[in-house]
Amino acid sequence: MKCFSIRGIHSGIFAATILLSWFVEAPFAKRKPDPPQQPPAPVTFTHDIAPIVFRSCASCHHAGEAGPFPLLTYGDVKSHARQIADVTGRRLMPPWLPSQDGLRLEDDSHLSAEQIALFQKWVADGTLEGNRADLPPGPKFASGWQLGTPDLVLQAPAPFAVPAGGSDVYWNFIFRVPLKSPRFVKAIEIHPGEKRLVHHANLLVDRMESSRRQEKSPGSGFPGMELQIEAESFDPDGHFLFWKPGSPPIIEPPGLALRLDPGNDLVLNAHLQPSGKAESIQPSIGIYFTNEPATKFPILLQLDNDRALDIPAGDSNFLATDEFKLPENVQLLAVYPHAHYLCRDMLALARFPDGTQKTLIHIPRWDLNWQAVFRLAQPEDLPRGTAIVMRYRYDNSSDNISNPNTPPQRVRAGNRAVDEMAHFWLQVIPFAAPGESRDPRMILQEALARHHIENNPDDFEAHYNLAAMLQLRGATHEAVQQYQAALALRAGDATVENALGAALLASNQLPDAIAHFSAAANARPDYFDAHYNLGIAQGTAGNFAVAVQELTTAVKLKPDDSGAEANLGAAFAELGDAKKAIVHLNRALQLDPGNKLAKENLAALRGTSP
Amino acid sequence: MYHSALPASRFAGSVLLLAGLMLPGSALYRNPQNDLAEDLRGRPVDPFTSTDGRAVVLLFVRTDCPISNRYAPTIQRLQQEFRGKANFWLVYPDANESAAQIRTQHQEFHFSLPALRDVHRDLVKRAHASITPEGAVFDSAGKLIYHGRIDNWYEDFGRSRPSPTTHELENAIRNTLGGKATVPDHANAVGCYISDLK
Repeated sequence: MKCFSIRGIHSGIFAATILLSWFVEAPFAKRKPDPPQQPPAPVTFTHDIAPIVFRSCASCHHAGEAGPFPLLTYGDVKSHARQIADVTGRRLMPPWLPSQDGLRLEDDSHLSAEQIALFQKWVADGTLEGNRADLPPGPKFASGWQLGTPDLVLQAPAPFAVPAGGSDVYWNFIFRVPLKSPRFVKAIEIHPGEKRLVHHANLLVDRMESSRRQEKSPGSGFPGMELQIEAESFDPDGHFLFWKPGSPPIIEPPGLALRLDPGNDLVLNAHLQPSGKAESIQPSIGIYFTNEPATKFPILLQLDNDRALDIPAGDSNFLATDEFKLPENVQLLAVYPHAHYLCRDMLALARFPDGTQKTLIHIPRWDLNWQAVFRLAQPEDLPRGTAIVMRYRYDNSSDNISNPNTPPQRVRAGNRAVDEMAHFWLQVIPFAAPGESRDPRMILQEALARHHIENNPDDFEAHYNLAAMLQLRGATHEAVQQYQAALALRAGDATVENALGAALLASNQLPDAIAHFSAAANARPDYFDAHYNLGIAQGTAGNFAVAVQELTTAVKLKPDDSGAEANLGAAFAELGDAKKAIVHLNRALQLDPGNKLAKENLAALRGTSP
Repeated sequence: MYHSALPASRFAGSVLLLAGLMLPGSALYRNPQNDLAEDLRGRPVDPFTSTDGRAVVLLFVRTDCPISNRYAPTIQRLQQEFRGKANFWLVYPDANESAAQIRTQHQEFHFSLPALRDVHRDLVKRAHASITPEGAVFDSAGKLIYHGRIDNWYEDFGRSRPSPTTHELENAIRNTLGGKATVPDHANAVGCYISDLK
């Protein structure tokens, strides 16, 4: 029996902005105390500027990377000196959105006031080269795969043609992962292709091939800024797989490996920016396996309040908030704030049970182009009862240059670039309370689904996810109610019809179960699970001829599924067609030598014990 | 030929004042031959001679400037739109950018405009250009009518509108062709500083 939970996964987009300029008045850093009466030594490239550029700029600004020009030599830097002084002075570069009042983050690339002042003074002093003996060793960049030769390299099946001009483009590439058995993955290195075109990219695991339905032809990929991926049963993918310019690939810490199963797809959601010439992009990914299975199971929590997003045209300070109280202790590993083009200011904080609070992350000038997953320098413990508070502000006036509407229009939540979002994702490892036997992720997921329904009784995904959690812990009656609530919001949805059928079957409501499985199979005729489940239900009802029909369809849709073959064999056996039964039971055993049902039925047919 | 012996740099500021002295239809100011911009074969070219009554539009670009690159489709659209009415030139102010680099750029970006290497910054001075990308519109007599941003697509580095809402360069060309004034005659551009170049 299969049941499903849908997760609203999304990836990013972008927002608005008010340009703030400020001038740094911090004292210039001094190399050594200057003796009195002597003027301060001039700032030079070799002594003062190169160390900053090598550390903070060169990782993107070298050949083959996203930076549009190299910044590796005196000549390189001098030929952009005023520009560098300008963009660092206004903190446009290096691109780093969070302010310093939140948690300490990995790869924090912001420059200090002293460093910024050095650039200004270098220009004022005449962009001097300085003594070449002072030049620190240049940065070394490995070419090709940063983590060494991957165990498996996959290339997107087809390139995507990026137009020469126009606004940003969002494209999804599906990588079919050719695995014969489940494997654990410690790292995935994303090579997005021509890096100047790619602002960021999110990689998502699709365990149900659900994204393939959006492709016009197999391997073509599909457009879209936000992705929704269905996940089989309760199997949360608690990992952020994110690429942004200049950031090194992440090797998951011990115990935090990601599981990949045969039949899984990896979907790369890429935000692309036309460069001025027509280009083609065909990403590839390198997968690094590990033999150490996962022992820690993080989960991605999504705070949102999309229902509250109804931003009047011209409103320059619209506030969207959400607040979720943790039902158990968690350890916070990373955050991913997300909104589109109107968002201006993002704040997320933790309010502890004793009333004190702490800023998790604050982005005072949100810019979708530089969105990122932010990993904490140190995991942060958040005790049960802590409220995670999200406060996002939006500017839907014409002063917001990123406003996709001219003149401004009323904007509500949605997946398109002209819609808005208010999402705050947290990657956490939850810990069960003493005496609690359930998977702590399920408790968290159930609490979150209930919270989302409180925020928005019309939240389809929340009803669905809550139903899936309830079904898993045996609260079948309430699960049926929640599936029905989801179905009321999205009539005829094949995935919900199928899951509801499964819940009804579990509570022995066979005729209703058959009706909903049939609805699922009719809604999506190539839906393997619906035909499989309908075959099982018809068999359970004693309708073996219909069961054979449905299971035959299932086998055609997925010829390598041993369960479908075994059940088809069983149905033929029930109809008295031993010959066909044996063919399918043997086929099931070829696919899976351990298939218990096939072994038992073959033994029964031959009059032997298995 | 007017004042051809004087160095161009002393002149940039004063040419407009002399406009009234010029004969109709003649070039306002001619470069000394040795300061002229070069075409990609290294031959000196003065875009203000033989205008045949057309306006002259200079577009200052740089091969390694991402913003000027992103303007390639816009620049080509404008050239097509004013074909026969305005002479468009791409001007590369970086003396270190070789003709070969520029040819590669033209192939990749499908530019069909003639390119000039402004190695002496003569055109930069005439157009008061300070940024790439930036446009300058001259009437057929060589009088500078407008210089500055192409449009308001970019508000700042890394901050662009979904699409521009004002079109300064295009308006200036239309005004010039229609004999109308362009006010203001300058708008700040966003891009790479020409003064950063040697």
